[in-house]
Amino acid sequence: MIFGIPITGQTITYFLLALIIMISGVMLMSLQKVMHMAVALGGVFLGVAGIFILLGADFLGMAQILIYAGAITILMVFALMLTQRGDDTESPPANGWRVGGALVFVVLLCAAFLYVLRGTAWPVTQSAVDPYTQPSVVLLAQSIFHTYTVPFELVSVLLTVALVGAVVIARKEEE
Amino acid sequence: MASLWGWHTSALTGISFLGMIIGAVIVLLLILGIVSYLIYFERKVIGWMQGRIGPNRVGPFGLLQSVADILKLLIKEDVIPTNADRALFLLAPVIAFVPSFMVLAVIPFTATHYFTAGLNVGVLYYIALSSITILGIVMGGWASNNKYSLLGGMRSAAQMISYEIPLGLSLLGVIMLSGSLNLNQIVAAQNYGHVWFIIPQIIGFVVFVISGIAELNRTPFDLPEAESELVAGYFTEYSGFRFAFFMLAEYVYVFAISALATTMFLGGWSGPFLPSWLWFAIKVSACIFFLFWVRATMPRIRGDQLMGFAWKVLIPVALFNILLTGAVYEIHL
Repeated sequence: MIFGIPITGQTITYFLLALIIMISGVMLMSLQKVMHMAVALGGVFLGVAGIFILLGADFLGMAQILIYAGAITILMVFALMLTQRGDDTESPPANGWRVGGALVFVVLLCAAFLYVLRGTAWPVTQSAVDPYTQPSVVLLAQSIFHTYTVPFELVSVLLTVALVGAVVIARKEEE
Repeated sequence: MASLWGWHTSALTGISFLGMIIGAVIVLLLILGIVSYLIYFERKVIGWMQGRIGPNRVGPFGLLQSVADILKLLIKEDVIPTNADRALFLLAPVIAFVPSFMVLAVIPFTATHYFTAGLNVGVLYYIALSSITILGIVMGGWASNNKYSLLGGMRSAAQMISYEIPLGLSLLGVIMLSGSLNLNQIVAAQNYGHVWFIIPQIIGFVVFVISGIAELNRTPFDLPEAESELVAGYFTEYSGFRFAFFMLAEYVYVFAISALATTMFLGGWSGPFLPSWLWFAIKVSACIFFLFWVRATMPRIRGDQLMGFAWKVLIPVALFNILLTGAVYEIHL
């Protein structure tokens, strides 16, 4: 027990993942080259996927790795390679106002978060029943393909329309 | 001992964690041995198909050739070009290799699953993690600051992202038939139904093999490392053990994709009379031999045909396979 938190495999894993997410996040904001930032962003996505898996949402965690850490990061790197010209290491010089403003904002944000988190009652189930009676894949499939079939299909139609629309708009600019 | 070897079913304790680490180290050592003999096997097979002898100087039948090559790579100087992006240049081989080893965690090598995580989303885990390797390859190509490397990296990213989609879709038919994403249960479903999924899923298998070869960047899809146009593609500037890491990742994927094909389509470790690990080894060796055979036979595909083939042929065929599987499944049950 440290600060009222029991030391188990889960808490250790949680803090390791949180450390990965925070270090990658800080690197994402402070690195100079856009390409390095893209790699740091990949680190953030992987850490978040780890948190999902830790919370029992294994399908969501894997989808996060596949879509965000895999596809989105590579798409960004690809776009940067195709478009980037010249040196991108220039950054505006830091001055007193900027640093002071940032500090005030960080303090205010932390205060707001603490206030909200402390003020909310987090319900904890007292019974020892496993909340996941089935694998999360099964639960997810049932809610998508049984309970919410019509909204799911509508969303896929919407996405298809958006995709076709994007192609049409891109074609127009080409001409 | 029960919790040491039964870590995949018991709760996480110190002793089962130790079991996990021992298992991972054993698999790592095994895979290093397999990869060195894969390279020897490939050179021998291609030599035989081209009417040559292949490596035969180091050790009996040239068996120590790969060991000598690896030793040479490890003691070579690790050259970092002056204008390379140092941090990413050093990191890229690691990003490329680590996922290739991690995907082996879900492959059921034997009937006892000592070294297999019975993950409920095993198939997705394989596809998701193998996509991270592309990042390492693109980063290596970009960080080298060399136009051949950059071109190789770009080609590789475009190719691997495109062929990942038919690869995933071709596996969906098997998942529909077995009703699970867990690789252990997919093998069990093939045992239970007394038929390997290659028979009802022959279309899916063909799409899987083609897109699998493209994912591996092997001939006839080796545009990212086409020697005659790009020197060596994304790892042109690499030398010594970092080069070895890229090669290692490639050959681990050759083994991993063969193991995945065995598990998904060829009944995994199951088979009569012989022990389960031997059946697994025989089936994986057959798949690997097929990959080498294709390399020795096929010419390289043209750049403009590459993307069209994935998007206009493989994806529609894979989607048709899913539709067909669903229809037959619906009529039969």
